[in-house]
Amino acid sequence: MVGKRRHEGYLMVDHRSIEGVPDALVVAHGLPVGSGRGLFEAPTYTCSHCQTVVVMNPARTRERAYCRGCDHYLCDGCGATRAANGGLCKTFNQIADEIISAAEKSII
Amino acid sequence: MAKRIVSVASQTPTATADTTALASGTYPFAIQGTSGTQKTNILEVYLGGQAGASSPSIMLLSRDSTIAATVGATTTTDAALDASNSALSSPVVTGNTWTTAPQRSASLHLLNLSFNAFGGVVRWVAAPGEEISIVGNTASLGEVSLSAFTGGTPGLLGAHAVYETL
Repeated sequence: MVGKRRHEGYLMVDHRSIEGVPDALVVAHGLPVGSGRGLFEAPTYTCSHCQTVVVMNPARTRERAYCRGCDHYLCDGCGATRAANGGLCKTFNQIADEIISAAEKSII
Repeated sequence: MAKRIVSVASQTPTATADTTALASGTYPFAIQGTSGTQKTNILEVYLGGQAGASSPSIMLLSRDSTIAATVGATTTTDAALDASNSALSSPVVTGNTWTTAPQRSASLHLLNLSFNAFGGVVRWVAAPGEEISIVGNTASLGEVSLSAFTGGTPGLLGAHAVYETL
């Protein structure tokens, strides 16, 4: 059985030898509390609809947005958009294919 | 398909707001597609702090809403990871000095790599198939840049990104 962990990237922020970055600064930019101090390692996933990289906060209890169409986790923004559009799935790779296809037709 | 690495050995970035021209030599690099049919994946981004004092740096990998034009003499290097790679006929353009400067999109930030450049290290690696893509060569999907966002006090750092043109 294939799990969703196969989609996980890896983020490492190493401040073991120094003071690091204050929580106010990292939290303001969407990173978890404490990620600016010591050694912070976390899995990440790439939203399949917009390719934003999401750092998976181990303390998060809210449900993550998930798309059954592409079997991927989504960022919160794309999750909300998908819900508002009745579950429409359009992945970034589909958009990329459309762009490349249009460019190829214009060349021909 | 050939993996390549674009890197800057040592640089102090300038904090720059979104949709503002990134001045030459004040950000690590931008990676731009060469043709409308080209797709490039970014596999890894690394930043290593070299500053001599505390320097919280808000580094963003982001798509650019204004695409750069005409690369000049940059302080970046771009090399093949495999020594036996043959050169692409239409290689991706990389650099941090352009006649028309790139501008970071206000809505398409892809990855936040905040860290303290006073010896801090930050590294992101994508899972296979989960890479960040550059598609075509027009805004906003045709170019990605690594640059410092406003706030903090960016310090001396070195950086690299591993990418692969498909």
